[in-house]
Amino acid sequence: MKWGSVLGIVFVVMFMVMFQWPKMNETREKVAFAVLTAVGFVLAVLLLVNPEMPGPTQLIDAVFKPLGELLEK
Amino acid sequence: MIEKGKISALQMAMLTNPTILATAILSAPAITAKLAEHDMWLSPVWASLAGIAAVYLAWGLNKLYPAESIIDISVRIAGRAAGKLLGFVYLFFYLHVNGIIVREYGEFVVGSFLTKTPLGIVIASIVAVSAFAVYGGVEVLGRCAQIMVPVVVLLFIVIIILLFPDLNPENMLPFMEKGIKSSFMGALVPQGWFSEYFVMTFLLPLVADRAKAPKWGVISAMSVMFILVIGNITTLMLFGDITGTLTYPVLIAARYISLADFFEHVESIVMAIWVTGMFIKISVFYYILALGTAQWLKLSDFRPLVLPLGLCLASFGVWAAPNSEKLLHDLGTTIPFYLSAVQVVIPLLLLLIALLKQKLRRQNGG
Repeated sequence: MKWGSVLGIVFVVMFMVMFQWPKMNETREKVAFAVLTAVGFVLAVLLLVNPEMPGPTQLIDAVFKPLGELLEK
Repeated sequence: MIEKGKISALQMAMLTNPTILATAILSAPAITAKLAEHDMWLSPVWASLAGIAAVYLAWGLNKLYPAESIIDISVRIAGRAAGKLLGFVYLFFYLHVNGIIVREYGEFVVGSFLTKTPLGIVIASIVAVSAFAVYGGVEVLGRCAQIMVPVVVLLFIVIIILLFPDLNPENMLPFMEKGIKSSFMGALVPQGWFSEYFVMTFLLPLVADRAKAPKWGVISAMSVMFILVIGNITTLMLFGDITGTLTYPVLIAARYISLADFFEHVESIVMAIWVTGMFIKISVFYYILALGTAQWLKLSDFRPLVLPLGLCLASFGVWAAPNSEKLLHDLGTTIPFYLSAVQVVIPLLLLLIALLKQKLRRQNGG
């Protein structure tokens, strides 16, 4: 099941590269595209393996906790 | 300029309207009811002040630097290193917030309608649809909004009218039972949503008839406030004290509608309203994320970034919360402050610094 999902993500990434890569001329664009795609791919696979991974929401929660408690009910 | 398209001030207002309303209308009655009880219909009025503040902050910054968004403006005001860092904070913020929005959409659709579909598929499909719209640029988004928003508002009004026979005005009493404070407390969550009007900082440089932009911005915020007040009054009159215990009161309210035993299952209209509104909301945030990233990296086009950011966005949607209870809890407690801290407090500081700098420069020059 999980490997099927990973395969799905790989498929999506392949589609993205095939669609976008021939349209780009500048090196800057290509680097930005490659880096963001890699970040997205790694994040997607990590979340598939461990959906409970702590993330930015937990950070925000910790920072704004004192204010958030005002609304706790 | 990275984006060559132009929109009118009216289209900007129509783009920003569902950007606030889409998430607010379903959960606002429940969240405000918890804190404001019988005065919940007053809360959106106070909350809209944050929206108007955000509109004028975006406009004030835009008047100083008409062709630029917050990404470039922060570099101008805070200097290169600090400005770039602040720009990154904004990009991360919009990626994260859009992830939360996508997750809200996913949880609603999976929780209420498509109960057997995996969350990831629902999230990926709305991101894919939005990616097509974003790829088309701001003019496509503007026209989408122009076609969809009037229909959404009309359908909403139809639902309210159909509920008229079931309403009980006595539920609104006692008025101001605990003074004005409880309605203020109820406004603390919606003010976070209203602060999202700061997305106008990305749209204002693209508006063709700039002089009308602040007026339409305020009209847009007022219309959202008006619809939220109507929604809150209706759910309050229908459910009374139990409004705060429901998750999506407007959806439950629509299930109530039954005319002459054949006009039923109107909740599908609520589903249509929500999906359409969320499509525009997600697209607007997605668009400013792609445009802002291109501005931050000084690229000549934002289109190469649309698909990779979509992959990140879908991942952030899954990442945003471990489950729907935690998501709703965060939305009602910490996230509103997060929203207004980034979209009202930081821009206010930037604007003050910019005005101070201008004044000092004038004194030194004169």
